[in-house]
Amino acid sequence: MNVMLKKPLKTLALMGAALTLAGGVASQAVASDWTPSRAVEFIAPANPGGGWDTLVRTTSNVIRTENLADQNFAAINVPGGGGAVAWAQIARDNRNDHKLFATSPPIILVPLAGTSRFNHTHFTPVARLITDYSIVLVPQNSPYQSINDLFAAIGENPRISVGGGSAAGSMDHISIAGAAAAAGLNAASVNYIAFSGGGEAMTNLLGGHVDAVITGAGEAMAQLQGGELRALGVSAPERIPGLDVPTYKEQGLDYTFDIWRGVMAPKDISEDALRYYEDLFARMMETDDWKAATERLGWLDAYQNSEEFGAFLDLQLEQFRSVLGELGLLRN
Amino acid sequence: MESLSNLIYGFSIALDPVNLMYVFIGVFAGTLIGMLPGLGPISALALMIPITFNLNPATGLILMAGVYYGAIFGGSTSSILLNAPGVAGTVATSFDGYPMAQKGMAGKALAIAAYASFVGGTVSIIGLMLIAPLLSKVAVSFGPAEYFSLMVLGLTAVVSLSDKSLTKGLIAAIVGMMISIIGIDLQTGTERYTFGSIELIEGIDFLVVALGVFALAEVFFMLLRNSNKPQKRNEIGSLKLTGAEVKEIAAPIGRSSILGFFTGVLPGAGATIGSFLGYSMEKRLAKDGDTFGKGNIKGVAAPESANNAACGGSFVPLLTLGVPGSGTTAVLLGALLVMGVTPGPMMLEQRPDVFWGVIASMYIGNIFLLVLNLPLIPYIARILDAPRPLLLSLILIFCMVGVYGLSFSSFDLVLLLVFGLIGLVMRLYGFPAAPLILGLILGALMEESMRRALQISGGDWSTFLDKPISLTLLVIALLSLTLPLIKKGWQKARR
Repeated sequence: MNVMLKKPLKTLALMGAALTLAGGVASQAVASDWTPSRAVEFIAPANPGGGWDTLVRTTSNVIRTENLADQNFAAINVPGGGGAVAWAQIARDNRNDHKLFATSPPIILVPLAGTSRFNHTHFTPVARLITDYSIVLVPQNSPYQSINDLFAAIGENPRISVGGGSAAGSMDHISIAGAAAAAGLNAASVNYIAFSGGGEAMTNLLGGHVDAVITGAGEAMAQLQGGELRALGVSAPERIPGLDVPTYKEQGLDYTFDIWRGVMAPKDISEDALRYYEDLFARMMETDDWKAATERLGWLDAYQNSEEFGAFLDLQLEQFRSVLGELGLLRN
Repeated sequence: MESLSNLIYGFSIALDPVNLMYVFIGVFAGTLIGMLPGLGPISALALMIPITFNLNPATGLILMAGVYYGAIFGGSTSSILLNAPGVAGTVATSFDGYPMAQKGMAGKALAIAAYASFVGGTVSIIGLMLIAPLLSKVAVSFGPAEYFSLMVLGLTAVVSLSDKSLTKGLIAAIVGMMISIIGIDLQTGTERYTFGSIELIEGIDFLVVALGVFALAEVFFMLLRNSNKPQKRNEIGSLKLTGAEVKEIAAPIGRSSILGFFTGVLPGAGATIGSFLGYSMEKRLAKDGDTFGKGNIKGVAAPESANNAACGGSFVPLLTLGVPGSGTTAVLLGALLVMGVTPGPMMLEQRPDVFWGVIASMYIGNIFLLVLNLPLIPYIARILDAPRPLLLSLILIFCMVGVYGLSFSSFDLVLLLVFGLIGLVMRLYGFPAAPLILGLILGALMEESMRRALQISGGDWSTFLDKPISLTLLVIALLSLTLPLIKKGWQKARR
């Protein structure tokens, strides 16, 4: 289904690109005309407390405190189906100019696993905002000193367990399986133990029940400060400021993995509204309140505009599809 | 002595007028929200997040913690008055609380719940203060194998929850475990029993089942039985406990508080397991164990002290390890991060004001709760005095609002109705509902832990016996299963 849908989308994206090029300076002047006429529903497709929820609440808070918009951005939680319930709702409301939602890799992974009829091609990318990276942690007394040590050991002993905070075939699993594949192993050779949250995975590592854990670098900061755990490598292209951990690339493993988060809108949002939001988020990321918030939360700015974000999502789809295929978890 | 000076430091923060005001607001809002079935601590905390944005971290956490334990404190109300447990931790309270209310002892049941909650809460704060760092070692010592064995032990409570017929109790428990399978399987990412419905992907929420088989089934049952009988006046009864009653519940409250605190420390289903284990432990220890389930005051005291103690215990992994043990503490963690505090091993050194300020505020909050709740009881209990049609529709509304508030999906309302009918059928044919809930809550955790443990051990089942904690729990489970049977057989032989 995805393959069929992808082509028209690419054509559309190209057409869109051509239009914006042609529009040029003129469209920028027009863009500022549209403003929300009522409160904007900003949906977190999950319960309070998670990554999507934090993104929605933080951005709407910054927009409010910095007076960036006349209308309120109301944070709304629509949990269910790992996001699928919210996506289905938003896909039905396809012309709403006052509806946005937070998004991240599950918008690609969940449909690939066959549990959502809607994927990123059924929505309009507005902007990518931030990214986090995967980090592999081991206890201080672990025999492994580098990411290569770990993969070498996994190659010899497939029982070595790597815990993660999400289900098999979702973010953490894809991240470590993709790294293993880049290291020359079969992606399926990682004995991935799925826990029901990053916290649970971490207690199991602290208690020595699993050999390593893969989690978000932001989440791991406090644990690393505590001194009981060590990091073997981080999936970023270059070292993360304030985190003294070598990247996979430094260790000779040509692999990066982004835990990106961004904003999407319904499929048929008007062009003017899209430009307005794109610009609003770009301006928001320049404010002091946003910078203070990202520093607190350990987020790294990774802005992409609508068009760049769309192209990035298509690339991600291919990458995830091949890892899931190797894991035997591809269902769509 | 060091903890004493720390505590004094904590009180100097908690007694600051602004913080004192937020403790009060927190526990007041929390206890009110907790009283409504369906608006559990998670939604209460989510409502508070925007307020905490502009507070300093110590004040913010004081407010949120107050909302959390306030909601648990008030959570027993709907269990006792309406047989409608709003959170998993208060299911066990309804077993004897609701029969007490039916017998015209609603006031006493609520008062006992308040005292038990107060003691449980206070015991857990003392534990949190004295041995929190030490306990974090206990929390991490539980891996998948240990959790599996703990769930097995928890499930042995089925025996004491089904006194009429053990077979029917076991059937109910197994149906509960089957319901827990519905949804995405974490270990393989496969959908099970969802029939292609996206609403079922994340499984069926405990609240839908609990409100269905308890509260809604009760409504249906009353409609079937008493449709034409004139309504007898529902007595609220006295709030006062006699000296003998105080003596009777003192020991159960003490034991269950400690049990609740330790199970609360374990990430996962701490409060639920604590309250169920406390209930079944007291039922077995009591000389009048056969009156449990019919309105025994110990049957209210034990689970209520356990679930409040577990609430305090759940702060241990959050504050000392920086990992949330439950959905509620995950929201707390998120809020703390937004406020710029990173809970974890370094928190005691980096932010002692937050750590000790919150602990001190909990002492104050618990006293507030007791003082606030006791005078309210006669007014709240008056709900039972409402004409039957009004009362029944009120329960119906509570259930529907609670369930709809979970994910704003009308699908859940249909499920609620289905479980209400299932509960009615179970009731008419003498199947106990409690084991079904227990199976539902523990089943999912038990299956996940078992498969994780086996995946780590490479399929070797001896992993459950090799680990000392796991082995000990299994032995206790075996004993608690066989001892009553042996006792029964022995009694029969003697007759």
